[in-house]
Amino acid sequence: MKKKIRQILSVRLKLAAAVEKIGDDTPLFGPDSLGLDSIDALELVLGLQKEFGVVIEDRAVAVKVLASIDTIASYVESQGKG
Amino acid sequence: MGGDPLSHLPHGLSFRFLDRVMEFSGENSVVALKNVTADEPFLAGHFPGNPVFPGVFIIEAMAQTAGLLLPPGSMAFLAQVREARFRRPVVPGDQLRLFARRQARLGDIHRFAVRATVEGDLVAEGELDLACRWNPSG
Repeated sequence: MKKKIRQILSVRLKLAAAVEKIGDDTPLFGPDSLGLDSIDALELVLGLQKEFGVVIEDRAVAVKVLASIDTIASYVESQGKG
Repeated sequence: MGGDPLSHLPHGLSFRFLDRVMEFSGENSVVALKNVTADEPFLAGHFPGNPVFPGVFIIEAMAQTAGLLLPPGSMAFLAQVREARFRRPVVPGDQLRLFARRQARLGDIHRFAVRATVEGDLVAEGELDLACRWNPSG
Protein backbone atom coordinates (compact mmCIF):
# COMPACT_ATOMS: atom_id res chain seq x y z
CA MET A 1 0.00 0.00 0.00
CA LYS A 2 2.86 2.39 0.75
CA LYS A 3 3.95 1.90 -2.82
CA LYS A 4 0.55 3.09 -4.00
CA ILE A 5 0.72 6.07 -1.63
CA ARG A 6 4.13 6.95 -3.06
CA GLN A 7 2.64 6.71 -6.52
CA ILE A 8 -0.12 9.17 -5.57
CA LEU A 9 2.50 11.58 -4.21
CA SER A 10 4.60 11.15 -7.29
CA VAL A 11 1.91 11.61 -9.91
CA ARG A 12 -0.67 13.88 -8.28
CA LEU A 13 1.81 16.19 -6.57
CA LYS A 14 4.27 16.01 -9.43
CA LEU A 15 7.08 14.94 -7.11
CA ALA A 16 8.15 12.37 -9.68
CA ALA A 17 11.37 10.54 -8.83
CA ALA A 18 12.01 12.64 -5.70
CA VAL A 19 9.34 10.57 -4.02
CA GLU A 20 11.77 7.66 -3.73
CA LYS A 21 13.82 9.69 -1.29
CA ILE A 22 10.88 10.32 1.03
CA GLY A 23 10.99 8.11 4.10
CA ASP A 24 7.87 6.45 5.45
CA ASP A 25 8.05 8.78 8.42
CA THR A 26 9.19 11.96 6.63
CA PRO A 27 6.85 14.84 7.60
CA LEU A 28 4.89 15.91 4.53
CA PHE A 29 3.50 19.16 5.92
CA GLY A 30 4.65 21.87 8.30
CA PRO A 31 8.10 23.10 9.33
CA ASP A 32 11.08 20.86 8.45
CA SER A 33 8.92 18.85 6.11
CA LEU A 34 8.55 18.28 2.43
CA GLY A 35 6.75 21.63 2.42
CA LEU A 36 3.43 20.56 0.94
CA ASP A 37 0.61 23.11 1.19
CA SER A 38 -3.16 23.00 1.61
CA ILE A 39 -3.81 22.58 -2.11
CA ASP A 40 -1.39 19.64 -2.12
CA ALA A 41 -3.35 18.22 0.81
CA LEU A 42 -6.59 18.41 -1.18
CA GLU A 43 -4.85 16.76 -4.11
CA LEU A 44 -3.62 13.99 -1.83
CA VAL A 45 -7.10 13.54 -0.35
CA LEU A 46 -8.53 13.20 -3.86
CA GLY A 47 -5.89 10.61 -4.70
CA LEU A 48 -6.63 8.59 -1.56
CA GLN A 49 -10.34 8.85 -2.27
CA LYS A 50 -9.88 7.51 -5.77
CA GLU A 51 -7.33 4.82 -4.94
CA PHE A 52 -8.64 3.52 -1.61
CA GLY A 53 -12.17 4.91 -1.29
CA VAL A 54 -11.42 6.79 1.93
CA VAL A 55 -13.04 10.21 2.33
CA ILE A 56 -11.39 12.92 4.39
CA GLU A 57 -13.11 16.30 4.58
CA ASP A 58 -12.25 17.51 8.05
CA ARG A 59 -9.10 19.59 8.27
CA ALA A 60 -8.18 18.38 11.77
CA VAL A 61 -8.42 14.77 10.62
CA ALA A 62 -6.34 15.59 7.54
CA VAL A 63 -3.60 17.17 9.64
CA LYS A 64 -3.20 13.90 11.58
CA VAL A 65 -3.73 11.49 8.70
CA LEU A 66 -1.55 13.21 6.12
CA ALA A 67 1.42 13.70 8.43
CA SER A 68 3.53 11.05 6.69
CA ILE A 69 3.31 7.99 4.47
CA ASP A 70 3.16 5.88 7.65
CA THR A 71 0.17 7.75 9.08
CA ILE A 72 -1.66 7.64 5.74
CA ALA A 73 -1.14 3.87 5.48
CA SER A 74 -2.38 3.30 9.07
CA TYR A 75 -5.46 5.40 8.42
CA VAL A 76 -6.36 3.60 5.20
CA GLU A 77 -5.94 0.28 7.03
CA SER A 78 -8.01 1.50 10.00
CA GLN A 79 -10.83 2.31 7.56
CA GLY A 80 -10.76 -1.28 6.34
CA LYS A 81 -9.56 -0.16 2.91
CA GLY A 82 -6.54 -0.93 0.84
CA MET B 1 -31.05 28.41 0.59
CA GLY B 2 -33.73 31.08 0.31
CA GLY B 3 -34.22 33.80 -2.27
CA ASP B 4 -32.22 34.28 -5.43
CA PRO B 5 -29.06 32.16 -5.13
CA LEU B 6 -27.19 34.73 -7.22
CA SER B 7 -27.69 37.26 -4.42
CA HIS B 8 -25.55 35.01 -2.18
CA LEU B 9 -22.50 35.60 -4.35
CA PRO B 10 -20.18 38.31 -3.02
CA HIS B 11 -19.56 39.91 -6.43
CA GLY B 12 -21.00 43.26 -7.35
CA LEU B 13 -23.20 43.43 -10.44
CA SER B 14 -20.36 44.86 -12.53
CA PHE B 15 -18.42 41.65 -12.00
CA ARG B 16 -21.20 39.10 -12.05
CA PHE B 17 -20.86 36.69 -14.93
CA LEU B 18 -24.05 34.74 -14.32
CA ASP B 19 -27.58 35.69 -15.33
CA ARG B 20 -29.60 32.84 -13.98
CA VAL B 21 -29.30 29.69 -11.90
CA MET B 22 -31.01 26.81 -13.68
CA GLU B 23 -30.87 23.99 -11.17
CA PHE B 24 -29.16 22.52 -8.18
CA SER B 25 -28.78 18.74 -8.07
CA GLY B 26 -28.20 17.95 -4.44
CA GLU B 27 -25.41 19.80 -2.66
CA ASN B 28 -22.67 19.13 -5.16
CA SER B 29 -23.94 20.09 -8.58
CA VAL B 30 -25.36 23.22 -10.19
CA VAL B 31 -26.11 24.65 -13.63
CA ALA B 32 -26.25 28.37 -14.45
CA LEU B 33 -26.63 30.57 -17.53
CA LYS B 34 -24.74 33.55 -18.87
CA ASN B 35 -25.99 35.41 -21.92
CA VAL B 36 -23.12 37.01 -23.77
CA THR B 37 -24.33 40.33 -25.11
CA ALA B 38 -22.65 42.83 -27.41
CA ASP B 39 -22.87 45.64 -24.83
CA GLU B 40 -20.35 44.14 -22.39
CA PRO B 41 -17.86 47.00 -21.98
CA PHE B 42 -14.69 44.89 -22.36
CA LEU B 43 -15.78 43.58 -25.77
CA ALA B 44 -14.96 46.95 -27.31
CA GLY B 45 -11.30 46.15 -26.71
CA HIS B 46 -11.38 42.34 -26.95
CA PHE B 47 -11.19 42.77 -29.88
CA PRO B 48 -12.02 45.95 -31.85
CA GLY B 49 -14.40 44.89 -34.60
CA ASN B 50 -14.12 41.25 -33.51
CA PRO B 51 -15.78 40.79 -30.12
CA VAL B 52 -14.77 37.59 -28.30
CA PHE B 53 -15.82 36.80 -24.74
CA PRO B 54 -12.45 36.42 -22.94
CA GLY B 55 -11.47 32.94 -21.82
CA VAL B 56 -10.48 34.26 -18.41
CA PHE B 57 -14.05 35.46 -17.94
CA ILE B 58 -15.34 32.01 -18.86
CA ILE B 59 -13.12 30.76 -16.03
CA GLU B 60 -14.63 33.45 -13.81
CA ALA B 61 -18.17 32.49 -14.84
CA MET B 62 -17.42 28.83 -14.06
CA ALA B 63 -15.86 29.86 -10.73
CA GLN B 64 -18.95 31.90 -9.84
CA THR B 65 -21.10 28.89 -10.76
CA ALA B 66 -18.99 26.74 -8.43
CA GLY B 67 -19.34 29.45 -5.78
CA LEU B 68 -23.09 28.81 -5.75
CA LEU B 69 -22.29 25.48 -4.07
CA LEU B 70 -20.50 27.15 -1.15
CA PRO B 71 -22.36 28.13 2.02
CA PRO B 72 -24.32 31.38 1.44
CA GLY B 73 -22.24 34.36 2.49
CA SER B 74 -18.93 32.65 1.80
CA MET B 75 -16.08 34.81 0.60
CA ALA B 76 -14.08 32.51 -1.61
CA PHE B 77 -10.99 32.95 -3.71
CA LEU B 78 -9.66 31.06 -6.67
CA ALA B 79 -6.83 28.91 -5.35
CA GLN B 80 -6.07 26.81 -8.39
CA VAL B 81 -7.07 26.41 -12.02
CA ARG B 82 -6.23 23.03 -13.50
CA GLU B 83 -6.48 21.46 -16.89
CA ALA B 84 -8.33 24.43 -18.35
CA ARG B 85 -9.10 24.06 -22.02
CA PHE B 86 -10.96 26.32 -24.40
CA ARG B 87 -12.48 24.60 -27.37
CA ARG B 88 -13.78 27.50 -29.40
CA PRO B 89 -14.38 31.27 -29.15
CA VAL B 90 -17.51 32.55 -27.41
CA VAL B 91 -19.11 35.58 -29.04
CA PRO B 92 -22.05 37.96 -28.47
CA GLY B 93 -25.33 36.12 -28.91
CA ASP B 94 -23.99 32.93 -27.38
CA GLN B 95 -25.63 31.59 -24.26
CA LEU B 96 -23.15 29.96 -21.93
CA ARG B 97 -24.48 27.04 -19.95
CA LEU B 98 -22.18 26.61 -16.98
CA PHE B 99 -21.83 23.40 -14.99
CA ALA B 100 -20.04 22.93 -11.69
CA ARG B 101 -19.72 19.73 -9.71
CA ARG B 102 -17.90 19.43 -6.39
CA GLN B 103 -15.39 16.59 -6.48
CA ALA B 104 -13.94 16.95 -3.01
CA ARG B 105 -13.39 19.30 -0.16
CA LEU B 106 -10.82 19.54 2.55
CA GLY B 107 -11.62 22.02 5.26
CA ASP B 108 -12.19 25.33 3.51
CA ILE B 109 -10.85 24.29 0.11
CA HIS B 110 -13.26 22.90 -2.44
CA ARG B 111 -12.39 21.23 -5.74
CA PHE B 112 -14.84 21.51 -8.62
CA ALA B 113 -15.06 20.01 -12.08
CA VAL B 114 -16.44 22.74 -14.32
CA ARG B 115 -17.44 23.09 -17.93
CA ALA B 116 -19.25 25.48 -20.22
CA THR B 117 -21.33 24.72 -23.29
CA VAL B 118 -22.99 26.78 -26.03
CA GLU B 119 -25.95 25.08 -27.69
CA GLY B 120 -24.74 21.76 -26.37
CA ASP B 121 -21.18 22.14 -27.65
CA LEU B 122 -18.39 22.08 -25.10
CA VAL B 123 -16.55 25.43 -25.20
CA ALA B 124 -14.49 25.26 -22.02
CA GLU B 125 -13.68 22.85 -19.21
CA GLY B 126 -11.36 22.46 -16.29
CA GLU B 127 -10.98 22.02 -12.56
CA LEU B 128 -11.08 24.84 -10.03
CA ASP B 129 -10.19 25.06 -6.37
CA LEU B 130 -12.00 27.67 -4.31
CA ALA B 131 -10.73 28.60 -0.85
CA CYS B 132 -13.28 30.03 1.60
CA ARG B 133 -11.72 32.66 3.75
CA TRP B 134 -14.84 33.74 5.55
CA ASN B 135 -17.97 31.85 6.21
CA PRO B 136 -20.51 33.20 8.72
CA SER B 137 -22.33 29.88 9.03
CA GLY B 138 -19.15 28.24 10.31
